Amino acid sequence: MRAESAAAERPPPAAMPAEAKIRLRGVSHRFRAEDGVFALRNVDLDIRPGTLVAVVGENGCGKTTLLRLVAGLVEPTAGVIAIDGRAVDGPSANVALMFQRPVLLEWRSVLDNVLLPLEITGQRNAGAVEYAGDLLRTLGLAGFELKRPRQLSGGMQQRVALARALITKPDVLLLDEPFSALDALTREALQEELLAAWSQSGATALLVTHDIAEAAFLADRVVLLTPRPGRVAHVFDVPLPHPRTAEDRYAPELIALAREVRHAMNEAGEHQAGGR
Amino acid sequence: MAQSSATARRALPGRLLSLALFALALAAWEALIRLRGLPPLVLPGPALVAREVVAQVVSGDIWPHLWVTLTEVLLGFLLGSVLGIGLGATVAHSASIGGVLRPYVVASQAMPKLAMAPILVVWFGFDLTPKVVIAALISFFPLFENVLAGLQAVGQDELELFRSLQASRWQTFVKLRLPSAVPFVVAGLRVALVLSLVGAVVAEFVGANKGLGALIVTAQGTMNTPLMFAIFVVLTVLGIVLSGLADLVERLALRWRYGE
Repeated sequence: MRAESAAAERPPPAAMPAEAKIRLRGVSHRFRAEDGVFALRNVDLDIRPGTLVAVVGENGCGKTTLLRLVAGLVEPTAGVIAIDGRAVDGPSANVALMFQRPVLLEWRSVLDNVLLPLEITGQRNAGAVEYAGDLLRTLGLAGFELKRPRQLSGGMQQRVALARALITKPDVLLLDEPFSALDALTREALQEELLAAWSQSGATALLVTHDIAEAAFLADRVVLLTPRPGRVAHVFDVPLPHPRTAEDRYAPELIALAREVRHAMNEAGEHQAGGR
Repeated sequence: MAQSSATARRALPGRLLSLALFALALAAWEALIRLRGLPPLVLPGPALVAREVVAQVVSGDIWPHLWVTLTEVLLGFLLGSVLGIGLGATVAHSASIGGVLRPYVVASQAMPKLAMAPILVVWFGFDLTPKVVIAALISFFPLFENVLAGLQAVGQDELELFRSLQASRWQTFVKLRLPSAVPFVVAGLRVALVLSLVGAVVAEFVGANKGLGALIVTAQGTMNTPLMFAIFVVLTVLGIVLSGLADLVERLALRWRYGE
């Protein structure tokens, strides 16, 4: 059930239509169930196990709603969301979430923040503490275990949040613009660390971002959502296999893809503006 | 080290100005008495008040009264805080209990507690109890209010994190809401501590034979105005000490919250 073993053999992108890890079918969401504005309308999406899918789009295209739906934090007004073939009916222990803000508890040490998820499920033990230490070391936070969040920079705080998301060894990693509040250099460092941590975990990841270059650099596939109502406009396969290195950021394939996504976004925008 | 001495140097003119202002106020006080020829019965001069303070402290006459008032303040504060925190937490935790109790709490808050002093004397007599009850009633509300506000002032993201971790209501309460409320509680404690001194003294006016408030009434009866002023000085010092105590609690709470 756990995903540790899936890490080794992630299916190459755009190959074999393997069973979807996350599947959305006809998913719609309105802010008020009966007559509210559609945040999402009739979205179909399959996410293969062990892949990283990025959802991009303008503000208000429903990308965060999409993530919250998969997280089981909100219910769709129509359609079905399934993880491993089972309909999502609430938050699950196999799904970990990372927010735009670090959302750390400032009265807890870094280590205690990372261990919070296991503390809540009653699984905090010596092994867990050791694993938390390992995660923090991997993320360059060795020696900061007993510091408080306030004593850390924004980038370090978001690394702690990443460690907290990974501590449960989740099957599914949901990332809600986790780097958007960071400065450009810190953001790049964190993207690379996320890539490394994600490939090691073998988790299936869904990343919401408005940074097209970030989406191209991190993802196996990029999903473009258009706003009002939010729907899937395009799905792009990223033509560069994982693992990727920092250098790949400037790979011509990725730059070409980013341009393509950007054009598609503009087109969708014009289309919308014309349709009004 | 260099930095702290620099800060001290910058703070020095401010302190000097404060002292100068104090000296100026004393001089104005003395001048007023001399110019208008006010008798000590109406307004004793600073020197007379200072002598009275020293006399009271040295003779030890004032100590039992100070002790009684302090006991009332601390007992009332403790009782009121415990009840305020407990009831505030209960109301915040359970929406249904909160809905039932809320209007009563608001109504009793609007009611000036000091107005109840006479009836409390009827009920509880002239000793410690009515003053402790008044101090407790006065301490109760800042804590009740602040605990309630603190427990509800939790960020949406934090709540969502706990939901995504499938934390129980109790876990969310103990691990998230309660610690989030600590700064609010500390602020409430500070207000409650200072107000309970007011409560105790006023309650002593109404019916008491011991305590600084009772001593003020006695001094008034014997037209001993210098003694009244001496008590004001003692009460001010007591207030400053209590507020220093609140500072200490605040510092400890902040250290716990944010690390050193």
